[in-house]
Amino acid sequence: MKTVYVCSDTITGIYSAIYDAWKDRQSEETCKVALKHALEQELFCEYRQVEETEHKAQAVENLIKKHLGRRVYWELYHAALSHDAQKGDAILGTMLAARRIPDSTKIMEHLSHPKVEKVFELSRSVGGEAHSYKGFLRFKELANGVLYSEITPKNQVLTCLAPHFADRLPLENWMIYDKTHQMFVVHEKEKKWVLVWDEQIDRSFASCVSDKEKEYAKLWKSFAKTIAIESRTNPKCQLNHLPYRYRGDMLEMENVI
Amino acid sequence: MRIQESMSMYEKLNILTDAAKYDVACTSSGTSRKGDGTGMGSCEQTGICHSFSADGRCISLLKILFTNECIYDCKYCINRRSNDVIRASFTPDEICTLTMEFYRRNYIEGLFLSSGILKSPDYTMELIYAALFKLRRECNFQGYIHVKAIPGANPELIQRVGFLADRMSVNLELPTAESLRLLAPHKTRKNILTPMRLVQNRMEENKQELALYRGAPRFVPAGQSTQMIIGATPETDYQIIQVAESLYQKFELKRVFYSAFVHVNEDKALPARTDEGPPLLREHRLYQADWLLRYYHFQASELLSEENPNFNVMFDPKCNWALKHLEQFPVEINRADYKMLLRVPGLGYKSAVRIVKARRLGVLSFSDLKKMGVVLKRAMYFITCSGRMMYPTKLEEDYITRNLLNVKERIPEEVRNMGYRQLSLFDDVRFGRGLYEKGGSAV
Repeated sequence: MKTVYVCSDTITGIYSAIYDAWKDRQSEETCKVALKHALEQELFCEYRQVEETEHKAQAVENLIKKHLGRRVYWELYHAALSHDAQKGDAILGTMLAARRIPDSTKIMEHLSHPKVEKVFELSRSVGGEAHSYKGFLRFKELANGVLYSEITPKNQVLTCLAPHFADRLPLENWMIYDKTHQMFVVHEKEKKWVLVWDEQIDRSFASCVSDKEKEYAKLWKSFAKTIAIESRTNPKCQLNHLPYRYRGDMLEMENVI
Repeated sequence: MRIQESMSMYEKLNILTDAAKYDVACTSSGTSRKGDGTGMGSCEQTGICHSFSADGRCISLLKILFTNECIYDCKYCINRRSNDVIRASFTPDEICTLTMEFYRRNYIEGLFLSSGILKSPDYTMELIYAALFKLRRECNFQGYIHVKAIPGANPELIQRVGFLADRMSVNLELPTAESLRLLAPHKTRKNILTPMRLVQNRMEENKQELALYRGAPRFVPAGQSTQMIIGATPETDYQIIQVAESLYQKFELKRVFYSAFVHVNEDKALPARTDEGPPLLREHRLYQADWLLRYYHFQASELLSEENPNFNVMFDPKCNWALKHLEQFPVEINRADYKMLLRVPGLGYKSAVRIVKARRLGVLSFSDLKKMGVVLKRAMYFITCSGRMMYPTKLEEDYITRNLLNVKERIPEEVRNMGYRQLSLFDDVRFGRGLYEKGGSAV
């Protein structure tokens, strides 16, 4: 009989489930990790609700960093941020598979293993989306000088973006709102960034932009239009690089789509 | 022509963007730098694209000219002095504000500053230096800066600018000295190569300085690049990639950019205007070949020759090479060395690395390759896994050519139709063969 560990769709949740499965000395055939919101009932399974704690999550994180190395940790972490419902299972499967090979740190090279391949694929797509947003995200300056941005990512990429922008704009107050997952990342000038969720924030402040903002928005829009060479117009190529799903939040695409 | 005092920022930006758009490079890659916390900005090794314009090119940098006033009269250039266009100039202050304000809104990854020649090369270079100095030292901007070195400017000035920029480029403009004399009467090959050599030598010295003292200021950390116009002059593809190859070898350039010639001026020295638009396919093939030179260990002489000096329209240069060298195929995925894997059509350098790593841990099959990102519909004619091909295919040039041209089909015709095929009058495999072989000249 299979044991299915049911957890919430957070890093803490997934790592806690892995912690429990690991502790119960499960093997790949006898266990599964499933997400609460995307649970598909199966026959001959025992369902176990995971008690989620920071302590368990920390223990798993340390376990991965110690035995699989930092690079694998980032692959697994990125996979855990994915929107795919199978992610928990893929991560657990990869960790179990890593135990069986001589050098566990090389587990990500073992691409012919289906779970490893899944983690590779998820991590690649999350990393790809995060990288895209590093470029496609647009800040606007609010009347109080705060830079504010809204994005609609498929995956939970905020924690991948925050260190990048914190390094880049250390002297600015900025915040990014993830509309898909209703999460904020907030950075106060010369301080560390914080992730905020489950918080009811009235977003009407976002419509009140500074005087300069309209001027620069106009300059940028006209720049983005002028820089194209007319005789080379190629919407298909543009679409390949810049899919429609990003365009909704992009200033220069407002009236173009 | 005088600069109008009343010109607004909006108008200026439009004019100077419009004038800069024919410059090709908009990459922000090649250097990695963390912000130091005192200003704004950082750089990523891979570069970041911030948007894509309607022509499908990436917008990464704020690509503008300092001024579009120019003392030169290059026949292909929109800003040539004999053209009647509105002229404008930025001030160093304006460039700084614009860059900083765009950067903090995450519109751009940095600045790409080029310029027409105002008064003299030295004068222009000084203005550029003033703008960069202000941006780097007063605004503490740590984002990416790509700047043009202006041929004929004082070497001392070029060096100073190099310490503020991430990448420098000198435009080669046209592939040969002969064409340059024809279309850019005020520029000489020697004048262009001198600053290129200067930057190269200074970068070499800088390597030693950095080895000695890690905190030494860095000179052009992202390397130098150049660009040339394709299709304005009668050079063949073979000549062009030979020029590119020697630039990579002798000048250690990071990139050579190719720019399909766009008709902006009427001049008897330029090719006649046609309805076909810029030679985009040719430019694309040259870029493909360029990647083969830089990442795939190919030599220019392997791809083209005096007898066959132009690229095939139908196939990319690698595929074309493979079809002419079928004696080296099929390649066994589980055994072939890395360099040979790189030569298989449908296999990129990333998937080649993945294959080399993954096969240490087990035998690879075709389904594994697919997961690694190998384009099997191309590669399957050239590879075996554990001694077997994916489908029973023939290792014949005509057969592979025919199947590869049917891009929509994933499996060979014979396999799909269980080995049978309707006879047709036009089945002769030699029919239309000349088309594939002489294709290059049609561009």
